Amino acid sequence: MKYFKLPDLGEGLQEAEIVQWHVKVGDNVKADQLLVSVETAKALVDIPAPHDGVVAKTFGKEGDILHVGEPLLGYEGEDADAGTVVGRLEGGGNAQADSFFVGAAPSTREHLAPRATPAVRQLARQMGVELAALAGSGPDGLVTRADVEQAAQSARDSFGGERLRGVRRSMAINMARSHAEVVPVTIFGDADLHRWPEARDPLIRLGKAISAACEVEPILNSWFDGRALSIRQHDKLDLGIAVDTPDGLFVPVLRNVGGRSAEDLKEGMSRLRADVKARSIPPQEMMGATITLSNFGTLFGRYANPVVVPPQVAIIGAGGIRDEVVAWQGKVEIHPVLPLSLTFDHRAVTGGEAARFLKALVQALEQP
Amino acid sequence: MSNLNATTEKRALLEAVNMALHRAMQEDENVVVLGEDVGINGGVFRATLGLRDRFGFKRVIDTPLAETMIGGLAVGMAAQGLKPVVEIQFLGFIYAAMEHLVSHASRIRCRTRGRLTCPLVLRSPMGAGIRAPEHHSESTEALFAHVPGLRVVIPSSPARAYGLLLAAIDDPDPVIFLEPTRLYRMNPQPIIDDGKRLPLDSCFTLREGSDITLVSWGASIHETLQAATRLEGQGVSAEVIDVASIKPLDLDTLEASVRKTGRCVIVHEAPRSCGVGAEIAASLYERVLLDLQAPIQRVTAPDIPPPLYRLEQLYIPSPEDILAACDLVLNYA
Amino acid sequence: MSNRIELPYTRFLDPEGRLVGELPVWADDFNLLTDLYRRMVLTRLFDQKAVALQRTGRIGTYAPTLGQEAIGVAIGSLMRAEDVLVPYYRDTAVQLMRGVRMEEILLYWGGDERGSDFQDPRSNEDFPICVPIATQSLHACGVATAIKIRGQHRAVVTTCGDGATSKGDFLEALNVAGAWQLPVVFVVNNNQWAISVPRRIQSGAPTLAQKAIGAGFHGEQVDGNDVLAVYDRMQWALDRARHGKGPILLECMSYRLGDHTTADDATRYRSAEEVKAAWQDEPIKRMQAFLASHKVWDEGREQALIADCQRQVQVAVDNFEGVGIQPVESVLDHVYARWPAALGEQREMLLERVARREEQGHE
Repeated sequence: MKYFKLPDLGEGLQEAEIVQWHVKVGDNVKADQLLVSVETAKALVDIPAPHDGVVAKTFGKEGDILHVGEPLLGYEGEDADAGTVVGRLEGGGNAQADSFFVGAAPSTREHLAPRATPAVRQLARQMGVELAALAGSGPDGLVTRADVEQAAQSARDSFGGERLRGVRRSMAINMARSHAEVVPVTIFGDADLHRWPEARDPLIRLGKAISAACEVEPILNSWFDGRALSIRQHDKLDLGIAVDTPDGLFVPVLRNVGGRSAEDLKEGMSRLRADVKARSIPPQEMMGATITLSNFGTLFGRYANPVVVPPQVAIIGAGGIRDEVVAWQGKVEIHPVLPLSLTFDHRAVTGGEAARFLKALVQALEQP
Repeated sequence: MSNLNATTEKRALLEAVNMALHRAMQEDENVVVLGEDVGINGGVFRATLGLRDRFGFKRVIDTPLAETMIGGLAVGMAAQGLKPVVEIQFLGFIYAAMEHLVSHASRIRCRTRGRLTCPLVLRSPMGAGIRAPEHHSESTEALFAHVPGLRVVIPSSPARAYGLLLAAIDDPDPVIFLEPTRLYRMNPQPIIDDGKRLPLDSCFTLREGSDITLVSWGASIHETLQAATRLEGQGVSAEVIDVASIKPLDLDTLEASVRKTGRCVIVHEAPRSCGVGAEIAASLYERVLLDLQAPIQRVTAPDIPPPLYRLEQLYIPSPEDILAACDLVLNYA
Repeated sequence: MSNRIELPYTRFLDPEGRLVGELPVWADDFNLLTDLYRRMVLTRLFDQKAVALQRTGRIGTYAPTLGQEAIGVAIGSLMRAEDVLVPYYRDTAVQLMRGVRMEEILLYWGGDERGSDFQDPRSNEDFPICVPIATQSLHACGVATAIKIRGQHRAVVTTCGDGATSKGDFLEALNVAGAWQLPVVFVVNNNQWAISVPRRIQSGAPTLAQKAIGAGFHGEQVDGNDVLAVYDRMQWALDRARHGKGPILLECMSYRLGDHTTADDATRYRSAEEVKAAWQDEPIKRMQAFLASHKVWDEGREQALIADCQRQVQVAVDNFEGVGIQPVESVLDHVYARWPAALGEQREMLLERVARREEQGHE
């Protein structure tokens, strides 16, 4: 039996419903004679016979759905050779005469890139040395570790600067790393402090207010792992406090800010400051902050976009308190105002969460 | 290729195999074709069509249905100086003949210090993608490549099928010649029946490039070339190498290309673990580690039996899978 | 219905060497008969020496042919140079008859591939000893197919033990030989033991010869300890094969008097009584008695024969021990017709390995 299969009736329609057969088994049909009417999703279509022959079998009855490529009608006679006993061999395609090189292409003798071990490549990447610019001193032009180190040294020498050390060096590395990873967004707000008895060093008030804001939006008090894309919220606020020193930036951590009294915190803070000043602060006292506060306003400045240090997701910048003209209950008054900046990592925190957090922070600060 | 004229008939891989068999039988009366259904039926895929009419039943032999027997018989025939060209209907049925390939065909020359030899060619369709029942879709070329004394050749175009099959039949040692079923009737191309042999033990560079080397063989060449075309659209110049001879491996060609590009992706349809890709990657690391700009990546089937046909496309590396690996290698550093 | 199939069983000599049937005309030639006897004695003395060489560490594992001499000698003396032998591993007797040199056999079992590179033209197309069981049956069919395609009048002989008849290769070989009427003679040396497994639990078939019936050709049993019986049926089978009349299976009933190999200890699985009884049937003693009863053999001839055989064996042992080790590169020389350039670095690897060991040896 030779099969006539349901043809593609156009526009990628994949199936058709049989409406009416116009021939039956045993009929002698002529090419183009109407065989069957089918309905597709778009139209009623009459399908003619592809060639002369005797109908051996019809497939499907009226109302049946057939898919494109399925047999519709069988003619008596020999089948075309499928050329396989299993499965289906795809034909088609049309290729030009094959052109290929036996063995390697002529261009394989082209100028080659520098050769180096993976470890030396890694070193060059870390030191910012471009391998291609180096003439390797090893066998066959191999770039060695010494070549890379020497290139890095001569780059420094030609720059003529002084090599960073200690805290300043780690600041440089940490800030750059943070910059490379975090997606920072900063929002700003002001706290009206006219109810405060006396607007002096606001540090402890700020700590307590941040702790209150964390109650409202605890997600800001989280650590975020950008590789694993996982987040961990903290129950307690361990506040990192940026302390400026001639040697560079120190960030000692004031623990459990929410659970301690103002007096206790004040005492703890002075101890930390003293330790920083004396350069006797143990490293663990500078680890584990859950949010950082930069109280730069004690020096100068209003707003900032401070840098979030992973795994933390937020940093608060407190500007300098100054008297401002404000609209207060319909009148113009002069109040002390604390400008606030909140930078958050938008990978972990939404804008809404950050805005509610900042609002709660301001409200807490505006209490008497 | 320059002397091709427009009237040269186009032939797909299967027809190229058939043409080479006709030629080999015409050239050398020691060439004998045997296997299940290869005679009157012309082979289940028609690779041997017309041979029996032309060369007679003594040289085109329908065997009983027993693969162990076919393997053993070919060893005996070859020891008498015939050049048996054996067809195993599907690679999935070859394992019954394995003892004869591993324990005899591959080593009779060595055992007898060259007194007896085994110039046989064993042809078998390989690979998935034709919606066949189970045991018809395997790619187990690595099993044979592991056996000293065998050669393993896999053509990926009609022209290479023609030239490599003739060379395999000429070769004085046993050659496992695996034909990618998926390509059997695809992409016909003009071929001249001029009897020209292609070298065994050599890779073929299908496309010259400078940024990355794509290494593949068999049916996967098809997807690899598609990936190379798409890379070109992204401004990446990919070199495509058809390994073709899986054993012995032409490492020199692979080495030269990867030295040039510094980046390499290996594509094969066979499962990953202990696949030929692992051998190539290990050899390249030994030879060109210092030139590599990124780790070599492999795009392969997972270590699973080929799924029945509803999911078999999942098994076959797609151009997208290859591009994803290229992306890793190109953007590594 | 009974599953017994009546097949011919041929024996001319009983264990005492008395005739139990009328001898065919060919057996009138007493020169031939004494020659068969001489060959059996030579085989046995060589075999004893090979075992002794293994026991003294001068060759490796060896498969003794003790008790199988009649089968091999009969086959070997009937095969023509142009016939092809495809043996198994207990075929010392046939191999010696085919011109394989004693020192070649010792080289093979002594760990040197040159032992299978037979130098005598008679054995030039013979297969080497086949270690995997029954695969050789199919190689024999392949050789026979080549002969048939070329229309030659040559026969192929392939041997195996009783255990091998259980393997698919053997049955597939019988099948194709029957289907194509191949010029091959299958000789099953049914020596009752496949290492430790006795014949009765190897197969449910009452005879092994009847396996041929299922493949559409004739099988017979023959007393494998009676060299005249084996000779007679082998002559008939080879003649048929050479004349295109198809395959024959001969099941030769014998007994493996020795261990499976020199690494085996048969006392673990069979009784001393059984072996003692089997010695009563062994092939050399009965042929000697037969020849003596016809006055063509006596003690003087026996002593002269033994001395001559021992001298031949000793020459072979001396030759074997004088052969130096193969050059190292030779392990690469015959893996392919030419060592592929693509594997070139492995040649270097091997040569470096050799140099390193030589260096260590000198330190």
